[in-house]
Amino acid sequence: MQKRNKLEIIKDLLKIIQDNKNSIKITPLIRKSNLSSQRFSEYFDELTKKGFIKKQIIKDKGFIALTEKGIKYLEKYNSIINFINEFEL
Amino acid sequence: MDLNTQNFILMGISSEIIYSFVIMMSCLIIYFGTKELYNLSSYKGIKYFRQSFLFFGLAYFFRSFIKIILLFSNQVEVLKLESVLFGIIAPFIFMYFSSIAVLYLVYSFVWRDWKSKLNNIYFAHFAALIISIVSVITDEFLIYLITNLIIIFLGITLIFYIKKKDRVKKNTQLYIIYFLLFGFWILEIIDLFVPYAFQPLQTIFHLFCIGIFFTIMYKVLTRVGTI
Repeated sequence: MQKRNKLEIIKDLLKIIQDNKNSIKITPLIRKSNLSSQRFSEYFDELTKKGFIKKQIIKDKGFIALTEKGIKYLEKYNSIINFINEFEL
Repeated sequence: MDLNTQNFILMGISSEIIYSFVIMMSCLIIYFGTKELYNLSSYKGIKYFRQSFLFFGLAYFFRSFIKIILLFSNQVEVLKLESVLFGIIAPFIFMYFSSIAVLYLVYSFVWRDWKSKLNNIYFAHFAALIISIVSVITDEFLIYLITNLIIIFLGITLIFYIKKKDRVKKNTQLYIIYFLLFGFWILEIIDLFVPYAFQPLQTIFHLFCIGIFFTIMYKVLTRVGTI
């Protein structure tokens, strides 16, 4: 399997949340992310810090959901990659 | 001053303002057009790319400022201007921004492959600063021109060396555009510091430069999805 770059990993994480009707618990997210717990923790902190995800409490249970910025990232992901490839950045 | 000379100066100033304004706007469109992509991705390559064009825009601003002062004061040599502001500070700022613009553009290509414990981009700022200070202090634009030629030559060599290792198909058209950009940038420097260097071909020269920046701007706007 080809190694994913950082932008792709972020996209995959956000896509998992989006595909789960924008609400997923952290344990299934770790499982589906295909990342070690340490790497997941790093990416999770980064996504939170960048404002791509938010925590929601539903019926006393914690869920992770996308923010508008996270949704925007998914929409613009192809543009970002095409831009990077076009200008070989 | 007779009417013909006045008209000549006014025409020169007008064409200079229009030319610089068009280039500056292209650079700013590139910078702000990529803002969203950078805000979302925080990708360093995009950061260095867009900042390069911000610095190009600023360099063109100071270039036009110097050119207009030269036309207005009927002087020909920038570094010989008596005023500290126009003869030292403005050329210094132009030299700094133009050197750093080239360095940032080269770095946007190679940053991934050029790993260093130190932040390489700070060296770029330091190098640009030293080049500008030495050129202004020695009152010798040749130092500035030769160092920029060296930077561009080393930059192109580095890009080809690093990209040679990549197996991905290269964007030849992009390399041609950048090669032309660097080439015309050197001609811009000569045009600023060597009196009447390209006087007969000034308009054609300006149109070529505008064409290069418009091409890059068009590519940027197409990729970010604006067009």
